[in-house]
Amino acid sequence: MPRPEERFVTFTLDGREVSAPENAMLVDGAEFGDVEIPVFCYQPKLGAPVGACRMCLVEIEGIPKLQTACSTPVKDGMVVHTQTTRVKEAQQSVVEFLLINHPLDCPVCDKGGECPLQDITFGWGGGKSRFAEPKRHFQKPLALSPLIAIDRERCILCYRCVRFSQEISEDYQLVLHDRGAHTFVGTFDGHPYVAPFSGNIIELCPVGALTSQAYRFRARPWDVEGGGSICTLCPAQCNVTFTVRDERVLRVLGRDHAEVDDGWLCDKGRFAYQSVHVDERITQPMLRDGGELRPVTWERALTDAAAALTRAGGAVGAIVGGETTNEEGFLLAHLLREALDSKDLDCRPAGGPAEALRVALAQPAAQATVPDLEFAHAVLVLDCEPVDDMPVLDLRLRKGVRRNGVKLAVASSRPSSLDPNATATVRFAPGAGEAFLAALNAALGGGGHLDELAPRAGADADEIRALAKLLRGNGGDRDVVILWGERLTSGARGDHAARGLLNVARHLGLMDGREGAGLLEIPAGTNGRGLREAGVLPTEDGRDTAAIGAAAAAGELAALYLMHVDPLEDLPDRDTWVRGLDKASTVIAHAAFLTEGIREHATIVFPAESYAEKEGTMVHPDGRLQRLRRAIGRPGDTRPEWQVLSDLSRRLGADPGILTGAMISTQLFAAVPYYAGVTLEEIGGRGVRWPQRPAAAAYPQADLGPFGLETPPLAAHANGSLRLGTFRSIWASTEVSVSPALRFLTPSQRAELSPGDAERLGLRQGDRVVVGTNGHSVSATVALRESMPAGSVFLETSLGVDGANALDGPLVEVRPA
Amino acid sequence: MTNVLLFDHIDEPGLNTIDVFERRGGYEMARRALGLQPEELIDTLKASGLRGRGGAGFPLGMKASFIPKGTMQKYVVCNADESEPGTFKDRELMQKNPHQLIEGLIIAAYAVQATKAFIYIRGEYVLQADILDDALIEARRAGYIGERIFGSDFSLDLHVHRGAGAYICGEETGLLDSLEGRRGNPRLKPPFPANQGLYQGPTLINNVETLATTPVILRMGGEEYAKLGVANSAGTKLISISGNVQRPGNYEIELGMSSRDIIFGLAGGPDEGRSVKFWFPGGSSSPVLTADDLDLGYDFDSLAKAGSMLGSGAIIVVDDSNAVVDVALKLAQFYRHESCGKCTPCREGTNWTVHMLERIRSGEATPMDLDIMASVQENIIGHCLCVLGDAMAMPIASMIVKFRAEFEEHIEAARQRNPLLGAVPISDEPVLIAGAAH
Amino acid sequence: MAEFASQPIDPATVRRFEHGSRVPGWDEAVDLTKDPAIVPDLATTPVPDELRSAIEAEMAKYPDTRSASIPALFHVQARYGWCTPEGIEQAAAVMSLTPGYLVSVASFYDMLDLQPVGKNRVYVCTNISCSLRGADDLYDALLTAAGDDPDMFVRGFECLGACDIAPMASINGAYVGPIALDEVPTLMAQIRAGEEPLPAKQLSRRACVDPKAHAS
Ligand SMILES: Cc1cc2nc3c(=O)[nH]c(=O)nc-3n(C[C@H](O)[C@H](O)[C@H](O)COP(=O)(O)O)c2cc1C
Ligand code: SF4
Ligand code: FES
Repeated sequence: MPRPEERFVTFTLDGREVSAPENAMLVDGAEFGDVEIPVFCYQPKLGAPVGACRMCLVEIEGIPKLQTACSTPVKDGMVVHTQTTRVKEAQQSVVEFLLINHPLDCPVCDKGGECPLQDITFGWGGGKSRFAEPKRHFQKPLALSPLIAIDRERCILCYRCVRFSQEISEDYQLVLHDRGAHTFVGTFDGHPYVAPFSGNIIELCPVGALTSQAYRFRARPWDVEGGGSICTLCPAQCNVTFTVRDERVLRVLGRDHAEVDDGWLCDKGRFAYQSVHVDERITQPMLRDGGELRPVTWERALTDAAAALTRAGGAVGAIVGGETTNEEGFLLAHLLREALDSKDLDCRPAGGPAEALRVALAQPAAQATVPDLEFAHAVLVLDCEPVDDMPVLDLRLRKGVRRNGVKLAVASSRPSSLDPNATATVRFAPGAGEAFLAALNAALGGGGHLDELAPRAGADADEIRALAKLLRGNGGDRDVVILWGERLTSGARGDHAARGLLNVARHLGLMDGREGAGLLEIPAGTNGRGLREAGVLPTEDGRDTAAIGAAAAAGELAALYLMHVDPLEDLPDRDTWVRGLDKASTVIAHAAFLTEGIREHATIVFPAESYAEKEGTMVHPDGRLQRLRRAIGRPGDTRPEWQVLSDLSRRLGADPGILTGAMISTQLFAAVPYYAGVTLEEIGGRGVRWPQRPAAAAYPQADLGPFGLETPPLAAHANGSLRLGTFRSIWASTEVSVSPALRFLTPSQRAELSPGDAERLGLRQGDRVVVGTNGHSVSATVALRESMPAGSVFLETSLGVDGANALDGPLVEVRPA
Repeated sequence: MTNVLLFDHIDEPGLNTIDVFERRGGYEMARRALGLQPEELIDTLKASGLRGRGGAGFPLGMKASFIPKGTMQKYVVCNADESEPGTFKDRELMQKNPHQLIEGLIIAAYAVQATKAFIYIRGEYVLQADILDDALIEARRAGYIGERIFGSDFSLDLHVHRGAGAYICGEETGLLDSLEGRRGNPRLKPPFPANQGLYQGPTLINNVETLATTPVILRMGGEEYAKLGVANSAGTKLISISGNVQRPGNYEIELGMSSRDIIFGLAGGPDEGRSVKFWFPGGSSSPVLTADDLDLGYDFDSLAKAGSMLGSGAIIVVDDSNAVVDVALKLAQFYRHESCGKCTPCREGTNWTVHMLERIRSGEATPMDLDIMASVQENIIGHCLCVLGDAMAMPIASMIVKFRAEFEEHIEAARQRNPLLGAVPISDEPVLIAGAAH
Repeated sequence: MAEFASQPIDPATVRRFEHGSRVPGWDEAVDLTKDPAIVPDLATTPVPDELRSAIEAEMAKYPDTRSASIPALFHVQARYGWCTPEGIEQAAAVMSLTPGYLVSVASFYDMLDLQPVGKNRVYVCTNISCSLRGADDLYDALLTAAGDDPDMFVRGFECLGACDIAPMASINGAYVGPIALDEVPTLMAQIRAGEEPLPAKQLSRRACVDPKAHAS
């Protein structure tokens, strides 16, 4: 899909010549002439203008009726008037009409002071009321959801919220009821509006009709400051502004970035700031003493940690969680390699392909950008669920399909929420990504026989054929983006899957550096990409995550260093980790919360900074270096973690020689060849995509194939039992379960089954079941899904004891509890 | 005989069946049309001078010629929503001669090369929709609807779609949204339906009467048809007359006939002893005319020149036993009820106007309210997304202008009756908003 | 000056504030114990076979199945008497829409009822042309005659497109008029008995008034 090109034209605005992009809506075009045209319903993020509120009427010469500037494109030579009596009278009348039903309870309204209706009334209203009739009164405020309150008296029916629900998030839960003057915003039969992106409607509302339950009455616009940073709760790294009052984050707002988040946030990003200020947070260093973690001084904790690490004598493994900054990862790698002489360091929860393949997949030329998803001819969503794994991308994909006619294809094991938008879908057996890629490779003209390979993936050959056709298109000249999840190339056969993916990418021309096409990986952790680039990977014969776990369980590692990760929550193979954590004599953790693994097994705990307190950088999955900037002070005794790491290194004899956070960034930029020359200033508030900088040429070369592919293993045959598939819900995170506003979303384990399998097993919706394999089991509630492929059961990971991390597949038994 | 084109033998028993219809020459024109080039058809329609019969009066031939050529899926939609108060002509046509509409649709669809068509009929017309459904079954069976109709290469899929009660679905873009399964909110224009209509495809939308006239035009020839009527108002028109007349009903007239002859000659005028106080010449959306205007020719230009419009061709006569305020209130209540609510001036303006009229009736108004009411109408006109808002504001504004004295008298009389009189302060000063912004 | 037919209005009965709409909800908060109303899964939403096939047949008529919303809601209404939440959920499951979408559509249209109503739908036109010929009195008379009969749903309606038989009513879809006030008892009795209401006044039997239509 060609991106729109901007061409500037000249038009006359209030008697002056103004140059603006052709076909920009007049409202936007007028800004090039410093003229503000008031709007309510117009919001370009919501798509095509609807012209409903009539606030933006202007006079255009040659057209007898006043026209809506929000929907009239700028044309060369157009003559527009925004200051004539006719226009002013129209504007005043619209304000008058809108105020008829508006309660004017501004003194007790959350929006007061940042309210477009106030501003427009002041700027364009008539200043008098002729409305002698009584106002309408309703109960207010009412709950629209646990997160959002609605005040129907204040609503001016601009439709922004319902358009968001219907055309952006497409959840179609928030709708208009009735018609005419009786129209009101609501949901079906009193159901709450709960959806992954619901909170955006609060920000969209131009009056105080939709307010945040968590923010209501907490502050006035003049009480607060805004701190710009990024959200680190998932790989999307949306740009946010923290609303801060008295060193507390009270709210998170989007900081629109068209190339990152498109101006939207998910509800986790919007409300989980509450986790910053909860009592559960660890704000002091702690030491296990008599079986219990007790607060200690920094000196004691650091001394003990240094001593324990020295004692371990190199038998130290470190696991780094996704919310770690590049700088922290870089420093930890320094600590391990330089001070402890260990190579056992990994940031990937389930390992990954060999270094050469990893490098090949991340070739700058083959990287797609986030906006590419919106303009490509076709996008393949492969073995990931954007709404859970990188939520804000879900909106971008929907936008591409809806507005630009992008052809979407979904290839996954679990039915995707994007299936209804997809032109092609392929289901393959859980864990059979490699076989699927081999089959797709064959369908695209690579080696092997599709009809033999498809069954190995537990997939339908015709579906794969249709997918290949869609991706290849009629001509060869198509921009395809493959959006894939890290899990595809992790695990024991990750190398084979990586080769398959590279072959497929090559067939589709993605490795040639074509603009607008390429690969985009969703890493498992927020900063997965940055951490790999900062070198948080096992070197040479170093151990990866799984091997570290196994080694610890085998008693081969004396110390474990856990940076923002709780293996029992976040990593597969819970059993091994329980043993490993038990065996290791020292477990040092940087953590904000005492989750199970930390609470039961850590020997030394350093308090972790929250993302609102941190400074540093991260790398967005599409290669954009972004900055975290500190918005509030650190609570209690919390120290900058770079300082802790640096301090430890120094104590262990490998002083990295840094005095400020910025100094490590500089070291990091110097250490990674393809970051050469990057500065914090260059990254600034908008970030910078390193693959687009000249230094990207320094990226290592790698063999890009084509590779001969091994015959993939046959997907497990269900044969009475069921294949186990897992996924991690957007809501499965500690930040969610400790945030009072979001706690209600914390998932509980459910076993998703096809109706056929359930019937065979004598199970019904809502039944309690036990799902297990050789000795391990979790309990769950049956959730039937019509679209679930027969023969598989899906469970969630990261739910503590009931998380699917406890099970190892490929087959499980499901029986009534 | 020439001026009975649509109502010719309308009550013949069984005309709604394909047998009788064909016996009377039905479907011959559709067959003939399929042998012509689409452009020839459009030229004939243009030559006929036929203007849309649904309200806006846009020339059919011109609208058909706006439909782009090309292979994209195109649609024809028949607007059978007929909800304009006072209008009931399409009802009689569909009920008694459904095949004529189907034939007209075939001709129009072929002319613009649309292969899918819908008749959007208001849900209240149960009988008529059932009759159309039956007629469609017959037409399909005869091979006139479906694949390769009349043995030609042209295929046409046609369905009846029932609305569910909303005046705004008569507005063509509201109709399209409703037909797409949404709330019937009008769309912003441009794009016009001819370019992006149903399912974003080019769409020709026309009224029942307009489409049912196309076979007549084909039979007569465009030029011949154009000779009927007067300048800019070619042909015959079905007129629905209702209200205070002795013989309400549908009449087919040649355009240009004197309004007096219609109201008195055909419909018998008001009851004995009553006189015409005012009349809506083209449905409730048209500004009212008074007894002084009765000699106007009933055609597009004459009515427009008199400050009103021909609209859907529905004359509502109000005699001197009625108070203008009562009619105004009914009118405003109707538009308030039917406003879709999408745009501000219509949603709030209709609501406010009802409130003001209620206050006038209850004796809580002053003459100043009349000025406010007039200015509110001005603030609606030309500022809405579609013209429903204008459709209330124009007649109400015309009533205030033409019957101001009566309004004032009414205000005073109601105030006299009001037991709370005196308790309601009268002020000439508008009340200031207490700090709208701060 | 014209005499005023207008009835004086008691100011005490003039509403002091605007309230209410045709569907309840303005004053209602959501029920936080409910789950969000996403697209109902057919695996967990049983749909009667006839309803499902009726809706699917409607969907087949249109290039975009969503167009079948109104027909589907009519089927729900025919089956359950009104658009019940359960019925809407069933239609939503068949059409892969959210029930919110359908309730939004239903609430826009006058003929779709979102609350239980009597099974006999009597729509009395109270628009201009009919009211000029006594529709308001007819409406009152019908309301009174219906009393609190739960089977009787009498409501005023905007112009039904039959001003030639004013004052008129649509009785379970059949147009009848002009209805004289003294015919109201008979009419009510016929509706209650399930008989054809006022057969002589059925629009279906009415001839065109235009003399020319019969002349030639
Ligand atoms: C509020 C409103 C209601 C309308 N109602 C109808 C209607 O019921 N029937 C109709 O044919 N046209 C109606 N129209 C006119 C249509 O928008 C459109 O102009 C017409 O269907 C075009 O067909 P024609 O050119 O054959 O008249 C209405 C217009 C408006 C603004
Ligand atoms: S004028 Fe009225 S009916 Fe038309 S769009 Fe505006 S609110 Fe809807
Ligand atoms: S901003 Fe243009 S109509 Fe609302």
